[in-house]
Amino acid sequence: MTIAQDTSPAVAAAPPRASAFSRFWQQNGSGYLFLLPWLIGFFGLTLGPMISSLYLSFTDFDLLTAPDWVGASNYVRMFTNDAKFATSMRVTVFFVIFSVPLKLAFALGVAMLLNRGMKGLPLYRALFYLPSLLGASVAIAILWRQIFAGDGLVNKFLSLFGIVGPSWISNPHYALWTLIVLSIWQFGSPMIIFLAGLRQIPQDMYEAASLDGAGKWRQFWKITLPLLTPVVFFNAIIQTIEAFKSFTPAFIISGGTGNPINSTLFYTLYLYQEAFGFFRMGYASALAWVLLALVALFTAFSFLTSKYWVHYDD
Amino acid sequence: MTDAPMKMTVVTGEVPLWRKRLVSVLSHAALFAASILMLYPLLWMLSASFRPETEIFTSASIWPSEWSIDAYFRGWNGLRVSFSVFFTNSFVIAFLAVAGNVLACSLAAYAFARLEFKGRRFWFALMLMTLMLPYQVTLIPQYVLFRSIGWVDTILPLVVPKFLASDAFFVFLMVQFFRAIPRELDEAAMMDGAGPWRIYWKIMLPLSTPVLATAAIFTFIWTWDDFFGPLIYLNKMSDYTVMLGLRTFTDSTGTSDYGGLFAMSVLSLVPIFLFFLFFQRLLIEGIATTGMKR
Amino acid sequence: MTLKLDRRQFLMGSSALMAAGAAGIGPAWAQASNLRLIFWGGQDRADRTYKVADLFTAAKGNAIEAEFLAWNDYWPKLATQTAGGNAPDIIQMDYRYIVEYAKRNAIAPLDDYLGGALQLDAFDADQLEGGKVDGKLYGISLGANSVAMLVNKAAFEEVGIDAPTNAWTLDALMEMGEAFASANIRGGMRAIADGSYSEPMLDNWLRQRGKALYTAEGGLGFDEGDAVEWYQLWNKLRDAKVCVTPEDQALDTGPLETTMLVTGKSALMPSNSNQLVAFQGLVPDPLDMVGYPRIAEGVGGGHYRKPSMFFSVGGTSADKEAAASFVNFFVSDPEAAKVLGVERGIPCLPATRDVVAPTLDGANQIALNFVANLGDLLGPLPPPPPAAAGEVDSSLIRTLGQEVGFGAKSAEQAGKELVDGATAILSRAAS
Repeated sequence: MTIAQDTSPAVAAAPPRASAFSRFWQQNGSGYLFLLPWLIGFFGLTLGPMISSLYLSFTDFDLLTAPDWVGASNYVRMFTNDAKFATSMRVTVFFVIFSVPLKLAFALGVAMLLNRGMKGLPLYRALFYLPSLLGASVAIAILWRQIFAGDGLVNKFLSLFGIVGPSWISNPHYALWTLIVLSIWQFGSPMIIFLAGLRQIPQDMYEAASLDGAGKWRQFWKITLPLLTPVVFFNAIIQTIEAFKSFTPAFIISGGTGNPINSTLFYTLYLYQEAFGFFRMGYASALAWVLLALVALFTAFSFLTSKYWVHYDD
Repeated sequence: MTDAPMKMTVVTGEVPLWRKRLVSVLSHAALFAASILMLYPLLWMLSASFRPETEIFTSASIWPSEWSIDAYFRGWNGLRVSFSVFFTNSFVIAFLAVAGNVLACSLAAYAFARLEFKGRRFWFALMLMTLMLPYQVTLIPQYVLFRSIGWVDTILPLVVPKFLASDAFFVFLMVQFFRAIPRELDEAAMMDGAGPWRIYWKIMLPLSTPVLATAAIFTFIWTWDDFFGPLIYLNKMSDYTVMLGLRTFTDSTGTSDYGGLFAMSVLSLVPIFLFFLFFQRLLIEGIATTGMKR
Repeated sequence: MTLKLDRRQFLMGSSALMAAGAAGIGPAWAQASNLRLIFWGGQDRADRTYKVADLFTAAKGNAIEAEFLAWNDYWPKLATQTAGGNAPDIIQMDYRYIVEYAKRNAIAPLDDYLGGALQLDAFDADQLEGGKVDGKLYGISLGANSVAMLVNKAAFEEVGIDAPTNAWTLDALMEMGEAFASANIRGGMRAIADGSYSEPMLDNWLRQRGKALYTAEGGLGFDEGDAVEWYQLWNKLRDAKVCVTPEDQALDTGPLETTMLVTGKSALMPSNSNQLVAFQGLVPDPLDMVGYPRIAEGVGGGHYRKPSMFFSVGGTSADKEAAASFVNFFVSDPEAAKVLGVERGIPCLPATRDVVAPTLDGANQIALNFVANLGDLLGPLPPPPPAAAGEVDSSLIRTLGQEVGFGAKSAEQAGKELVDGATAILSRAAS
């Protein structure tokens, strides 16, 4: 030992940093190399604005003059003196709880149907994706009114059965549901992702299972679903995040007002009103970071519990 | 496993033909009805684009009382800059965005999914966080940033971030798909002496055509449909995209040209629909087998 | 290239830019006599504006780079540009926002240019006043308009009663309502839209009673008693089926195609005089315009001619003088006037009005005549609204009106909340 200690200073004086670095590079280099574009983008274009917005959340910023530091008062006000915050949170959570599972169920169901390979498949696939193409166009707002207003299509249909429906889209009890239906109607995106996931399951697994005598239902439970869990996980997380951030449908259908009586006041719509309508960008930033914290918690929780049900092949 | 004597799965227990036909007819009928639901808005828009303006919101039926393609001409040339310019701009931005996303996001996703490196989880979590912040609050700081480097009034703020994998959605998506590809293939290639780049290029990418096609489709459509980015960063009308052009058709304070709006909306659907049709084949053809031996 | 935008840098950067701009030291590239113009509107307005811009370039040499957006997109973009130190030279401005922008120096005071670049001696005094904030001139009115009740003449003929005139009262409205309710034309068309959450109608009603929405000091100009009476009035109209159902009214989210007049739910609807043309384009029946109903016969003073919109000069504009001269050209040049017509409102210079009047057609003539002949409906011009007026309108007036309509709150509750809430918002904004 002593011999080693005698010689070690000389050896240690040689390039320890270089070898540590080259060790680091050998182990992690390729990872970081592949990640380089993202890292450049993150540090160059994303991090700065994110930190700015965090800073702004502690200020009074009216967009037209420089921000004024006010400490945590935005956050305090949010939780103690803002009825609209509570309303918008409630509306958004309600929206998430109902629209996401239903949307995913439709997406998966239709994807499975279309995966069977029937006649006219490409056409149907395109048709089911069509609503998502219409996206955020002004036309959607106009259409939704035509369908869900007091004298709209839905009520005309219901009147065939003698039911007099309310004006779904302008009644505070039902207006949010029309937005939930809108979200579900645009299930095309998760559907396509499910389809891609289904397509990635090798056919020979099904063939092997058939030969072993497994019926369609068993195949679904034992092969399809487990192998699909990474995609299910993805869709669930993404759709939930998007639902929390949902803005455009509420914006165009309620004209940015959250009509009627704030029953469609989505959280980001409220945020937008505060930022650009009332020139309170500082408060809006605080709202945004509260949302981020909430969604981050949810996502972290999902990731932690995902090991119990998501099967990766690696 | 039951105690019953082993049964041979004999293929004689066939479903009667009439039942098969019935199921087929019913499912087609259901699909057809559902398709009408999906199609109805488009039909309404088509109808609105062909009928007189005063009828659009007041008529009860979907069938126009008089047909005219006037709205198409009016819409195309109505704004000072013709829609052909808008379409070109939208195409350029969308194609660049697709190229950027597919390339950059797959690189990042490969790193997260397949490569071991210190800090991987940390960066992954950060990346996901970028998805969670509503854009309304990063808008102004980003604008200030882009202005300080002189990119405002160009398409650079809309396109360059795609080449830097700024769309965490696609990185995450690809990570999930990459992780579903069996590692045996990687390992086999590594035994043959392949480094990470070769594995990425020769194994991962070819096997990932479904997800890459998905990313291409979504990027194209979302970039095409995006109006907020172009709204903020493009000042000259000759730089506007289709979506931005459409938004100037209706103004709640003055006269609007709804016929023109719907006509141009219908036209703007055509490219994204075609793109979708073309790329969905890639999505579906995917991989029939992985050539994997278990 | 900035890799990390320090927040301090960001602050420094934008405030430095704005300070430099205010001092008149602009970056070199702004010295060219290019002027940037931004306005909201549709194609029709854009066409006219571009033509006038061309006329200006031909006359004075400055090139105009114009950009236009729909109303909803305009304000976020303008705010973003201003926050980024990139605001245009000539900015179309609205009554609702002019106080905010003026107080923060995002738009420049124009008093120095009066008599120079701005030749506005014959300008309507009340229109000039309307563009002042804290005594300084910040915006030049591009046209006067007034609130007006749009009338669907064909519907009244169908019911068989006379359409209202400028002399009509709330009692007359009750009678019309009853006639419509019993005639039940066109699937249950009512007489009037629900005006309980229309800020202009509330304002007009208060002014007729000698009160106002806001005082000159920025406080509330009415009390709880007024507010409760207002909601009770509309409850009465609603119960008697004079106005549309709350569900129908809630369909109106701003865009013209959602309004009661266009969707055929009512024959009367509160609006502005310069919007007649837009509405006529969407409704096959012939439309007319009258004043808001009087609270009793002979009582007037509710109306006033307000600037429909302004042109302001950007606070950071490098060539404010040229910008001011563009604004001057816009409102006074006869050729420009012919192009612009009354699309933005009635011109505020008599000379311009004379040039425009003979060129007007049907709906435009009606608008011009209406604004010119308000007579005793006219009252004094109110002071500019306080900065938080927009918030009071959207958060309280609109929401409470809906709540009362849907029965979620009583008139008494709503009246109290309106006054308490408005006072709170106003004092918070003032602090």
